[in-house]
Amino acid sequence: MNPSESETGIPAVDASGLPDHVTEADIRESAARERREKLRMFLTNWQGLTGLILVTLFFASAVFAPWLAPYDPNALDVPARLSGPTLEHLAGTDQLGRDTLSRILYGGRVALYIAAIGVSVSLVIGLILGMIAGFGPRWLDNLLLLVFDTVRSFPTIVLALATVALTGPSLGVVLAIVIITSIPQYARVARTATLTLRNTDFILAERSLGASMTRTLLHHVMPNVIGPLLILAAMEVPVVVTVEAGLSFLGLGVTPPTASWGTILNEGYLVIRDAPWMVIAGGIPLILTTLGFTFLGEALRDIFDPRMGKGR
Amino acid sequence: MLYYLTKRLGLSAVVVCLVVLALFSLLYCIPGDPATIALGPRATEEAIARYAEKMHLDEPVWRQFLIYIGNALTGDLGLDVFSDRPVTAIIMERIGFTLALVGAGMGWAMLLGIPLGCLAAVKPNSWIDRITGVLSVGTIAVPSFLVSIWALLIFAVHLRWLPAIGAGEPGDTGDQLSHLILPAFAIGLSWVGYLARMVRASMLEVMGENYIRSARAFGLRPRRVIFGYALRVAILPTITLIGMGFGGMISSTVFAEIIFARPGIGKLIFDAVMARNFPIVQGAVLVATGLYIFVVLFSDILIAWFDPRVRESL
Amino acid sequence: MPKDALNSPETLLDVRNLSVEFRTPRGRVKALRDITIPIRKNRIIGIVGESGSGKSTVLWALLGLLAKNADVTGGEVRFGDRDLLHASEAQLRATRGEEISVVFQDPMTSQIPVLTYGRQMLDILYRRPNVSAAEKRRMAIEMLGKVGIPDPDKRIDQYPHHFSGGMRQRAGIAMALLTGPQLLLADEPTTALDVTMEAQIIHLLQDLQKELEATVVVVSHNLGLIAELCDDVVVMYAGEVIEAGEVHEIFHNAQHPYTRALLECDPARIDDVSRKLPVIPGDIPDLTKALSGCIYAPRCQRALPLCREKLPPDVARGEMSLARCHLLDGPHHDPSWPPPLDVMTVGQGVAGASKPARVKTDKPLLEVSDLNVQFETVGHLRARLKGITQRHVDAVLDVSLLVAPGETVGLVGESGSGKTTLGRCVLNLVQAQAGSVRFEGQEIRNMPESRFKPLRRDMAMMFQDPVGSLSPRKSVRALITEPFQIHGVTGIDLDAEAERLADMVRLPKPFLSRYPHELSGGQARRVGVARALALNPKLIIADEPTAGLDVSVQGEILNLMADLQAEHGLGYLIITHNLPVVRHIADRLAIMYLGRIVEEGRTDELFGRPVHPYTQALVEGVPQPDPDRRRVHVSISGEVPSLLNRPKGCDFAGRCPFAQDLCRAEKPPHVKMANGRRHACHFPLD
Repeated sequence: MNPSESETGIPAVDASGLPDHVTEADIRESAARERREKLRMFLTNWQGLTGLILVTLFFASAVFAPWLAPYDPNALDVPARLSGPTLEHLAGTDQLGRDTLSRILYGGRVALYIAAIGVSVSLVIGLILGMIAGFGPRWLDNLLLLVFDTVRSFPTIVLALATVALTGPSLGVVLAIVIITSIPQYARVARTATLTLRNTDFILAERSLGASMTRTLLHHVMPNVIGPLLILAAMEVPVVVTVEAGLSFLGLGVTPPTASWGTILNEGYLVIRDAPWMVIAGGIPLILTTLGFTFLGEALRDIFDPRMGKGR
Repeated sequence: MLYYLTKRLGLSAVVVCLVVLALFSLLYCIPGDPATIALGPRATEEAIARYAEKMHLDEPVWRQFLIYIGNALTGDLGLDVFSDRPVTAIIMERIGFTLALVGAGMGWAMLLGIPLGCLAAVKPNSWIDRITGVLSVGTIAVPSFLVSIWALLIFAVHLRWLPAIGAGEPGDTGDQLSHLILPAFAIGLSWVGYLARMVRASMLEVMGENYIRSARAFGLRPRRVIFGYALRVAILPTITLIGMGFGGMISSTVFAEIIFARPGIGKLIFDAVMARNFPIVQGAVLVATGLYIFVVLFSDILIAWFDPRVRESL
Repeated sequence: MPKDALNSPETLLDVRNLSVEFRTPRGRVKALRDITIPIRKNRIIGIVGESGSGKSTVLWALLGLLAKNADVTGGEVRFGDRDLLHASEAQLRATRGEEISVVFQDPMTSQIPVLTYGRQMLDILYRRPNVSAAEKRRMAIEMLGKVGIPDPDKRIDQYPHHFSGGMRQRAGIAMALLTGPQLLLADEPTTALDVTMEAQIIHLLQDLQKELEATVVVVSHNLGLIAELCDDVVVMYAGEVIEAGEVHEIFHNAQHPYTRALLECDPARIDDVSRKLPVIPGDIPDLTKALSGCIYAPRCQRALPLCREKLPPDVARGEMSLARCHLLDGPHHDPSWPPPLDVMTVGQGVAGASKPARVKTDKPLLEVSDLNVQFETVGHLRARLKGITQRHVDAVLDVSLLVAPGETVGLVGESGSGKTTLGRCVLNLVQAQAGSVRFEGQEIRNMPESRFKPLRRDMAMMFQDPVGSLSPRKSVRALITEPFQIHGVTGIDLDAEAERLADMVRLPKPFLSRYPHELSGGQARRVGVARALALNPKLIIADEPTAGLDVSVQGEILNLMADLQAEHGLGYLIITHNLPVVRHIADRLAIMYLGRIVEEGRTDELFGRPVHPYTQALVEGVPQPDPDRRRVHVSISGEVPSLLNRPKGCDFAGRCPFAQDLCRAEKPPHVKMANGRRHACHFPLD
């Protein structure tokens, strides 16, 4: 419902008929203007811009790592071990003499891999489960909700530790855990959106016209649900990357000698008293990536879906 | 209210059972002999046999599960594989450190975060609002285990202001407190940001509601309107979110205990995983689950206490 | 304004030259321009206006509670020795609640849900430090009793969600009057309430005003409310006061063309039943642009070329009245204006076909017999745990209804009557538990969707929320042509069809590329009509077709519907609670109460000689926009009982002034009367 004029100061849109002063050109112009307005809002939002730059940097550095890295990440250079930042090794070396900068760039690939697969798989599964929960019978909804809430609030690390106790560390395990613990977030958002839509008149109107369930879901529910989900995805990438880094840090994820930001941090932690820069070097890309995606996601949300910001 | 309590308790018990069941089934899903899996490839024949006997592995799976649950209810969580000491005793020794850390971390985060969020909402676009905004995004984005590592680096290793390792001398409260500061700071930091923005968003939404306008129209004092009316309603979603996010707090605590070598439950689980001491893993996971369930339950009850509509609708 | 009135000791609050602007992304909206309203002591003054008039803005300006993007650009508000517009926040706060108090429009959202009424009322009295808490509580209980809340000493400790809508509004009035304010502001106090409750609240306000000698300002768009309640009236249009005067003068001798037009458009004032209703064409001007001349000129039925250029003078007529129009004074004074009351100055919008004589057929279009719809309230498990035996409510109970082809049947009821459920059940959107629904002779109750789908081409629904019933990410064009796609109609040019339908509902073609959130209520309704018409239905069920529309423009949609009916022989089932409108547009009426039909028959007979006491209560309950026809007493008290607590015996017995023992014991059966009328009453009125 368009709110009353006394509340917003903006007069309710014309009560009937086309006012004299609006023409067809005006209407087309206003739709285009709205798109330009949104773009402008995005570009002038410093957070959004910074986020976009950082995210692009992340993608570029990970994809082009083989060309950008000055050394092979596993190349040993023991005499130069544990050196600080020098001209030859811009980020220093680790305890085996491997170039930290190269390892960071290659670590980004691991992060990208986990992020890309983890987010896309959990988004799709979460979307489907959420729509089922929203549209299906009440008991199913209650059951799914219980499952979502439990899985989501379960401490990830405890789950990871318990699993690795039995399966041994591997990237696959990390990926599986990341997916399982991410699904509830997407499912919840999808469910909320679906539930809201289910009770709106327009879904009822579609039913009254004879639209089938499939048509309703595809044409009318999904377009309205996918938006918030994509924004959530942007905000979830930092979480996923962090989980991988954390688990690898504990030795539960990526196995040596593979470079990951987490393993760099692990190795750095072990020599923290002698060579503190490793820990700093390993942490910086993590922070930049998480900040970047968070800023980007926030800016997108503020512009495209301001209602979502109010408490998730 | 009683009905609501019963229902929540029942659900919580179900969840705990499900978690134990999940652990059990994980053990049995993996191909191979459970005892070998639990103890690892380097275990001796004798150790495996002893484990199999202790864990009643010859019985059917469901009976093992029931035996375990039954024992757990009486406080018996099995025996440590190496030392044969009761798992419960080991856990009891360590749980105090974890609770202290969680309490301290959560405590300072709430003491700082909630008022900040309130202030930011009441004075939108002021400098305090902007700083809160930047701070909260910044602190949310930085992973807590990284904060732990860097805090360790800066304050313990480099500046030497605070101790790096352990929980302090038993009996010496001052020493224990000084060992608590860094880890508590590390795990609380991201929560400050998270809470501040949650409270701010919630307050902003509530302040736009009609009933706040009514309260102002009746001439109530601004302080009363903000705290007695707006915050009273806005705190509800915040409590829910604290309950929801508590699992993350436990995760951060585990990392902090490992990084700062605090002898709490988190480190216990980690060491047990590395040493393939499965009964400890199982028991400690159960206790950790119980802890987080308790917090969620508590937050639900708190909400029902604050919001009469919830009390009665269930 | 006559100068003497301004400084008269009778004036309690003096609004002078108030101007307010809002800063919005589209520019500065000049919401109020030079408003002057003297409010006399001990009288009830009504501010009448439609959407965009700025009437509510005046209230918020008085209290200093305007939105953050508002700028007061001029004027003053004299209250006693203070100027409220330029008072400090502390001074304003001292006034609010103590000397000036407010009753809000929507009691469901204006009261904080987590505090008891006792606590809220205690808070309101915080400025009485010398009064003990016990005494404050006693005052609160007394006030709750005064506003008609039963058992106030127990109910004071309850929360707002324990109170029904009408009771909540009473509680709201109690809270406003608790401190004994000199001035009470009421913002649309009855808009959210049922008709029978509205009457009670009006009388409550009248009684309280007399008893407490308070001054009341009522803001409303409801002319009946204003006529019934107020002593003085101020008419606002698009941010200006265009007429003011005593209530009899305004209603019987309106001077300004807008006031005149407004009165003519009110269906309750049109005695002769007419299918088409008058309309004021056009819409309020864009207040962000520069304005010149008379604000109403673009829509005025008697506009002169001068009117668009020169601001008209305020022409005083008596001591307290004025009207702002060129026709009343000066070189363009027209002595023949205003014409006598029986002359209509406003037209009926676009002319359409007149209604052909109804084709008499034996076969009814829609025939509902003994329909029953139940909703489950409690799940199996919880019912057993709590020992609840009654797990269902009867939303629709033994309903029988007939709609002939080309006929308009009005389904009238208040909240909880089940009318919307009935409409949805007919369209197979809700399951029915018993009874029969026949469409053109074919049984369709609970028909499986696959078989029912082709029938959806023959019956369509128009929804209550015009914008909300349109899928937000589809363009109007896509929405209008969707029915074709759903039913797999091939071989047609979708674009051409979209344009044809847009023409049919008089929606200009450029709107086809808009999205629902860019449409106004009226435009969205037309899109709804276009969708409903896409496949040439025979029956349209319209759920509250005029909800949210101003009186001066609701005629547009109703006239459109009438024209379409004449052209295509459509049958309508109009679901509404708006009696004045339905009296004009419906051939027959069915009155629903708590899920049952209590009376059914021809509209004129139902209004002229109602047979069921509830019908009579409804008909008499509507406040008439004529101060000479004020009701002296209210015949109906209480509220619609909850579906969960359906009374034994007649549902209406608890409130019926004629109830007898039999009524409370047994449910009255449906009785068919001579001329096709039916009723359900043990002791029908004769």
